[in-house]
Amino acid sequence: MEVNYAIELSKHEHKPLQINPIKHSQPMGAALAFYGIRNCLPLMHASQGCASYTKVFFTRHFNEPIPMYNTSVSDITAVLDGGDYSILLSIENITKKNKFKPEIIGLHTTGLTETKGDDVRGVGMHIEIPYCYVNTPDYEGGMESGWALTAKALIDQHTRPYDQVRPNKLLLLPHVSMQPVEVEKIKEMCENFGFETYALPDLSTSMDGFFGEQQGKLAQGGIGIDEIEVLGNCATVVSIGSSMRIAAEALLVKNPKIRHIHFDHLMGQDMNDNFVASLMEIRQIEPSPSVKRWRGRLQDVMLDSHFLIGSSRFVITGEPDMCIGMTELIQSVGGTIEAVVSTVYSPVLEKIEAKKVFVGDLEDAKVHFKNADLVISNFHAERILHIDEQSHAGLVLRGFPNYEELGNQLKNDQLYEGSTYFLLEIANKLREVKHHG
Amino acid sequence: MVNRAKIKELLNESACSHSKDKKPGEGCDKPKPGLAAGGCAFDGAQISLFPYADAVHLVHGPQTCLGASWETRETLSSYEGRDHTVMGFTTGIRTNDVIFGGDKRLADSIDFIMKEYAPEAIFVYSTCVTALVGDDIDMTCKLGSEKHGVPIVPVHAPGFVGGKNLGSRLAGEAVLEHLIGTKEPEFTTPYDINLIGDYNVTGDMWQYLPILDKIGIRVLSSMSGDGRVGSIRTAHRAKLNVIVCAKSLITLCRKMKEQYDIPWISVSFYGKRDTAFAIREIVNALGDEKLIAKAEEVLAEEEEKLEARLKPYKEMFAGKKAVLNTGGNKAWSIASGLQDLGIEVVATSIRKSTADDIEKAKEYLGPDGILMKAPASEQSKVIDEKGAHILLAGGRSLYTAIKKKISFIDVNQEKKVSYGGFEGLLNLAEDLKSAFNNPVFANVSKKAPWETVSMEAE
Repeated sequence: MEVNYAIELSKHEHKPLQINPIKHSQPMGAALAFYGIRNCLPLMHASQGCASYTKVFFTRHFNEPIPMYNTSVSDITAVLDGGDYSILLSIENITKKNKFKPEIIGLHTTGLTETKGDDVRGVGMHIEIPYCYVNTPDYEGGMESGWALTAKALIDQHTRPYDQVRPNKLLLLPHVSMQPVEVEKIKEMCENFGFETYALPDLSTSMDGFFGEQQGKLAQGGIGIDEIEVLGNCATVVSIGSSMRIAAEALLVKNPKIRHIHFDHLMGQDMNDNFVASLMEIRQIEPSPSVKRWRGRLQDVMLDSHFLIGSSRFVITGEPDMCIGMTELIQSVGGTIEAVVSTVYSPVLEKIEAKKVFVGDLEDAKVHFKNADLVISNFHAERILHIDEQSHAGLVLRGFPNYEELGNQLKNDQLYEGSTYFLLEIANKLREVKHHG
Repeated sequence: MVNRAKIKELLNESACSHSKDKKPGEGCDKPKPGLAAGGCAFDGAQISLFPYADAVHLVHGPQTCLGASWETRETLSSYEGRDHTVMGFTTGIRTNDVIFGGDKRLADSIDFIMKEYAPEAIFVYSTCVTALVGDDIDMTCKLGSEKHGVPIVPVHAPGFVGGKNLGSRLAGEAVLEHLIGTKEPEFTTPYDINLIGDYNVTGDMWQYLPILDKIGIRVLSSMSGDGRVGSIRTAHRAKLNVIVCAKSLITLCRKMKEQYDIPWISVSFYGKRDTAFAIREIVNALGDEKLIAKAEEVLAEEEEKLEARLKPYKEMFAGKKAVLNTGGNKAWSIASGLQDLGIEVVATSIRKSTADDIEKAKEYLGPDGILMKAPASEQSKVIDEKGAHILLAGGRSLYTAIKKKISFIDVNQEKKVSYGGFEGLLNLAEDLKSAFNNPVFANVSKKAPWETVSMEAE
């Protein structure tokens, strides 16, 4: 399969099928985003397998019960129904059976219901509960875009227009690959600067592995719809990850006075210096001592780990916004990126300066494994690395899904602190594979 | 193609006790909008056929169908070539394919797979979108098959036609139509059987195959656990079809009886009594006196060995009571295994069981046993009333156990070890031992300081 060697970054596919895919679908990203909305009823407009697969996928990744409902489109409704019947019946069945009242219904489409052309916007006129619809066909985009489209839809449809701002109110828009604790840490950082901070979506209080009183049939924690409605008076919106720009722009439409700051990621010293500088400029205060301590620790670890990382080669696979952050952090201590294999095309991939950057699957990525010391990929790469005896590379698990390890929601790679831990983790893994064979 | 007549037929299986009393057209339950997120027909079809490691399984559809489902099931295979059960193949159709049709992409994908992986066969699964836009996968598969000289089998089980169970039946239809009877076995014996419906999850099949082997029963082919495309093509020469646990492939058995005059029986290999019962059923159905005698001899020997190993567990479990909340045939088959270990099963769920299963559960649990129709709301009360020590259920019931401070075993999620056959019973015993001895459930139900310490001012 030497042909795969020369795959260039392109908006078009290089082969007719995917073999061992890394990519996940738009509907799955949308579903995950709705888990970050308080008391949300995530409703997938699909035949029931789509929801069942998604539920199992996230249950195994997070080791948490996952609230998930679907409209069970049947052979008859697939052809005859414009969507109204199965959606309204679902909502009736769910709310009647469970005797609960969701604060919002998060409805999104799939390949099936987009193909049949259901009017998910129109059906909202018949629903008494607050309602958000998103068009997420799974033959377009990927998990990252499904998540971003949902954040945008929530703002478009629910945030009220404002002409004033509250100077210390801030909205964070995290990209899909950020785990719950990472969102929590960034929120904390902003709060330390005196901001009243919100995140959209906010998994930091919903999918965070917290052992509560009961398991909900609705999304727990998260940002409330009442809070989304009044996001228009934020003074600052911070988008993290190129995919989230569309959500920030949607907010600026509601109130042009909002200041938008964008970061492609928050990994490594440079990006975090920019982030801290921005927050300092707005608030005109110094960061807390702990932020300064962590920057020092990161620098120390950069120096300590640069011998190992600087002489090593990496392959990274995953969603574009995750890939660029890891690439830049590893490169900042001299690591060589052999290949970045991304799930979907995103303009941010053009910014990555690695030997190879392209959209592909694990069959394509495997070719590069034999040149790597370390692979950063999801759980599927594990078996492929084992089968491939030419490769001596170690594996650090990141991205969706990770069925192999516990505590995914507590993995932190962001800010000075998370970057420090990330460098230590990959350096230790490198020591294991390089020095102990 | 899949048509309404076929779906109706599969949903109203005459051989299934479930549909016997229903009016024509009612048959199996259909998915209800908004209720529990169960699997779809595609899911069922893929589960049924996926254990064929020598075939490539190509999902012709958009991303969710395969992207979220590959490498999730521990369907082990002894196939020594490239194991395709640990790989995922999808056409991952895009907007253009929806507009202009995905046949070309499918044909190109088949060519790519044959060139790079050269499998014994390809199963091509249609999905909601490709079925809706009308891709002609029958024709594409036929042309591909002619071009490459291996079976390329279209599987028509788009998710919207129904549930998981129906999908398994549709997979059975595809195998019956395209594979069974297309090849002759090298030789036959009077003791040739087909195993149907055991997917060999965590190696369940391998727990009882050695016993069959010792008795002299040959497994001619398997649909589908640790199966081979080559052997399923010869399945029409078997003397007996043995359905293991699952009821979903009953239609396949009925049709093989009609077409090839192969009788069938339905058995389970969970627990000591059921395993022994299953083996007796098989040899009795084959009807050879010498074989029956041999089976008795082997069983006596194996049971004696097993009893010796179970003895310490039975002493440990004396007086323990269990509540079981699981689906289908597991309602009685796991109950039987627990009873074999000396545990009293005080209640079991019959919510998802067939009429046959309910009868069996009644018989196994005896007059005092509680058959729960709505386990989610009943199980908590039953635990109190009966003083149960352990709950065996799916993950959703974890909190019931924690609140009651009793042990818990998850019997529904992808388990890591097999509970099948005699060896599996020992695995179950070992897991029960760990569960009974673990203090974690009592520990996590302790109150926090801020719930107990009084903070009132002096």
